[in-house]
Amino acid sequence: MNELKPLGIYIHIPFCRSKCQYCDFYSIGGSRDRRLVDNYIQALLVHFKETGARASDYIVDTVYFGGGTPSFFGADNLRRIFAEVQHRFRVDKDAEITFEANPDSVSESLLKKLRAEGFNRMSLGVQSDRDDVLQKLGRPHSYEQARSAVQLARSCGFDNISLDLMFGLPNQTPPQWEETLRHVLRLRPEHMSCYGLKVEEGTPLWEYREAANLPSDEVQAEMYLKAVEILEQSGYRQYEISNFAKPGFASRHNLKYWLGEEYIGFGPSAASDFAGKRYTNNRDIQNYIRGVLKQDVPILSECETIPARERAGEYVMLRLRTIHGISPEEYEKNYLMPFAPLLEAITPLAEKGLFYQKDGRWILTPTGFLVSNQIIVRLQEAQEASEPLAKKR
Amino acid sequence: MTDLSKIRNFSIVAHIDHGKSTLADRLLEETNTVDKREMEEQILDNMELERERGITIKARAVKLNYRADDGQDYVLNLIDTPGHVDFNYEVSRSLTACEGAVLVVDASQGIEAQTLANTYLAIDAGLEVLPVVNKIDLPAARPQEVKKEIEDVIGLPAMDAPEISAKNGINIHSVLEMIVRDVPPPKGDRNAPLQALIFDSQYDSYRGVVVYLRVMNGVIRPGMDVKMMASGAVYKVVECGYLHPKGMVPADALGAGEVGYLTASIKTISDTRVGDTVTGAENPASEPLPGYKSCQPMVFSGVYPADGSKYGDLRDALEKLKLNDASMYYTQENSIALGFGFRCGFLGLLHMEIIMERLEREFNLDLITTAPNVVYEIDKTDGSHIEVYTPLNYPDPMEIAQAYEPYVRASIISPPEYVGNIMELCQFRRGEFKDMTYLDTSRVELHYEIPLNEIIYDFFDALKSRTRGYGSLDYELIGYRPSKLVKLDILLNGELVDALSFILFADEAYTRARRICEKLKENIPRQMFEIPVQAAIGGKIIARETIKALRKDVLAKCYGGDITRKKKLLEKQKEGKKRMRTFGTVSVPSEAFMAVLKMDE
Repeated sequence: MNELKPLGIYIHIPFCRSKCQYCDFYSIGGSRDRRLVDNYIQALLVHFKETGARASDYIVDTVYFGGGTPSFFGADNLRRIFAEVQHRFRVDKDAEITFEANPDSVSESLLKKLRAEGFNRMSLGVQSDRDDVLQKLGRPHSYEQARSAVQLARSCGFDNISLDLMFGLPNQTPPQWEETLRHVLRLRPEHMSCYGLKVEEGTPLWEYREAANLPSDEVQAEMYLKAVEILEQSGYRQYEISNFAKPGFASRHNLKYWLGEEYIGFGPSAASDFAGKRYTNNRDIQNYIRGVLKQDVPILSECETIPARERAGEYVMLRLRTIHGISPEEYEKNYLMPFAPLLEAITPLAEKGLFYQKDGRWILTPTGFLVSNQIIVRLQEAQEASEPLAKKR
Repeated sequence: MTDLSKIRNFSIVAHIDHGKSTLADRLLEETNTVDKREMEEQILDNMELERERGITIKARAVKLNYRADDGQDYVLNLIDTPGHVDFNYEVSRSLTACEGAVLVVDASQGIEAQTLANTYLAIDAGLEVLPVVNKIDLPAARPQEVKKEIEDVIGLPAMDAPEISAKNGINIHSVLEMIVRDVPPPKGDRNAPLQALIFDSQYDSYRGVVVYLRVMNGVIRPGMDVKMMASGAVYKVVECGYLHPKGMVPADALGAGEVGYLTASIKTISDTRVGDTVTGAENPASEPLPGYKSCQPMVFSGVYPADGSKYGDLRDALEKLKLNDASMYYTQENSIALGFGFRCGFLGLLHMEIIMERLEREFNLDLITTAPNVVYEIDKTDGSHIEVYTPLNYPDPMEIAQAYEPYVRASIISPPEYVGNIMELCQFRRGEFKDMTYLDTSRVELHYEIPLNEIIYDFFDALKSRTRGYGSLDYELIGYRPSKLVKLDILLNGELVDALSFILFADEAYTRARRICEKLKENIPRQMFEIPVQAAIGGKIIARETIKALRKDVLAKCYGGDITRKKKLLEKQKEGKKRMRTFGTVSVPSEAFMAVLKMDE
């Protein structure tokens, strides 16, 4: 038998109790319409069946329920979906099974059911330790609820818990942010994600951004570097721009994105990189359901085959988000492109403390992460101007 | 061919906005040259850019057939002229092809600086100048006063000048009658050897160069060999004919006194220099026609493709534009910072802006234009005398014995209440007051001698804003004067960017240097590192600003592996960078090169 290739599965649960002020992900806020939920699950199950048939030489080693708010969707629904994943795909017994949760929809019964089903990682949206801030952001929970959700999860047997925090919030100061971090660290999560708030067009926050008293870029940069420092001191290693973990607890699923491994996304707006193609599902849930069940609208909104040269660009773009950085050997071997032009761009950046080198790999420093868009563009420009190695010979 | 006695060749001169183009339209209508139905507004201005700016840049000609009140049929050739001070040379070329000029004066505004300048050009060219008072239907019209002004200031009899409204078609007939009556018919001998004056030319991708000309002596016929007297090039005429607003009308011959065009499969554009005389190859004229002044570009600027690989495209575009614009000059230039480009000479800033816009629009080029400068003269310590067209060639201060800069005599006309403001402005610009004359109780003319360098960039705008739009300006070069000049260099991140260097009056160096550093700081976006912006004279730093480092440009959350979205974002960023030039590690947007000049707050 051939060796099985690893595969990640992402399932989008586009339902939320309410829409947060800053959120621009696809989800439907408010009550869960019974028929819509049933149809949606139905569509997912059919989609699994179709796709599973094409993934017989893969072994699924990560499954990720994201949203939306999977915990709000309910344990029974999640179990039903996950059972079908196991039925249609070969799922490794040690697979990482994550679900995202919000403190207001976590209950003992939900946690127990999910744990029993094989879910082994919870990613909890905490965002802040201050109730006034949470309220302003439109989060339907208090910090106390977050704290007890973590304790409950522990008691139900979850030993891999990730907490999400946000910085750069309205009126937030660096000392407040530091306090939030220290506060939350007392809950002893295995994993932390710290995201800088990005005000996206089309969100309610965008409309009143001028009046929101958001910290300046300088202050946000300061907050970010402080977080890196505090988390490192507390034993959390930064392994991606916004992600930190105790040894052995980096999110295996999320790493797939950055390391260019294969994954399939199910549900509206979910993205896939599978069998040489990158595609994104239809963003609207009704269209997604129709596309799967009636097949009269396309399921995919975008689908592209990525040429090798572009993969080389993605390698730079994605790897540089991580602590793995980029390696000259890997780059030249996999993409047949010369590393020298990249090195030329890297050298002055390294002198300014934006890059460092470790075991032959070039890795961004935290200050480098902060301006990674600029750096990636610069490296990609150097790359686009260079000739493939093969041609030269 | 029309009998000489039945031909009238004329142009219309006016200050900008006084109604020249509108009058031309009415003349076309009144003579049924163009149907009212087909009448496109201001048909003579047939370049897109001209229409937008509302000024005529290029001379064009049109033939009108008119049956006068005396029952005779006449051919009236209207040769259009540009109306801006930058285009004096083009005006002079067109005027030389005429015997008369209709001077349009706005009945409420009266005489303006350009009215005078253009009138004198017409008088210099030996033309009969016929005043017309326009816009008489406006409430503020004061035709009698304006007529008196014309008599007093210009010395032309004006009491019988037609009072018209070009806009509303009032009294247009009287203008036509005046032209027939007062414009002298052309002289010329159709049996003499051919002499025809090129007053314009245009490149057409099917016919080659179309030459617009006025035949002075002899006859042009298709099939004959003609010679361009200055370039010596010989061509066989393919077609000749008359100019109609809607295109060219072929004819069997063009005789002395007539205005028209010829085509001769001319591909080499430098062969048909505007101002040259066309003669017969077999029976040539003994000498070319006199009268064309050679043009003098006054303002020079470096023009570079934003994308260095487009150098060849830029060269081709300049070559094509040069065909239609004899007053433009260019030569190759090489900047360390910007690579290959051109040093281009223009008649003035408006002319420069028009050329830049045409290059970008008609040839789809992205350009970087460096700060415009005038031509300086320098006595070097080794005894030699040089002209400096670009800061790139400015000699080391140690080699300069004496520097000279060009001065102009500026004439400014404005209502008296703004005299104080004007004097303040001119003084600030190193102007030397000469005299002041009241044209009438409501208008005064001031004369200043002022360095050309001080007026090329934003002087006209400054004048307008200090006179609530009433001030008008005209100027002519009066020669070079000794001056204290320095070259100011700009360093970005410690590296000299030669394309940002420029020459200025030494006493202003400190103030300007500080302003320029501030302007660059505003115009260069933050980058990954802190960028010192320094201004230096001969290695000595005299001003400094710092562009702070960009602290944050990151996509924090790349959710659910949506890589396509992130890629799009980065592509957008890359596109933005392509519109910038990179010096060392610093990216500079093209606007920054011009922004440094906007000194007047």
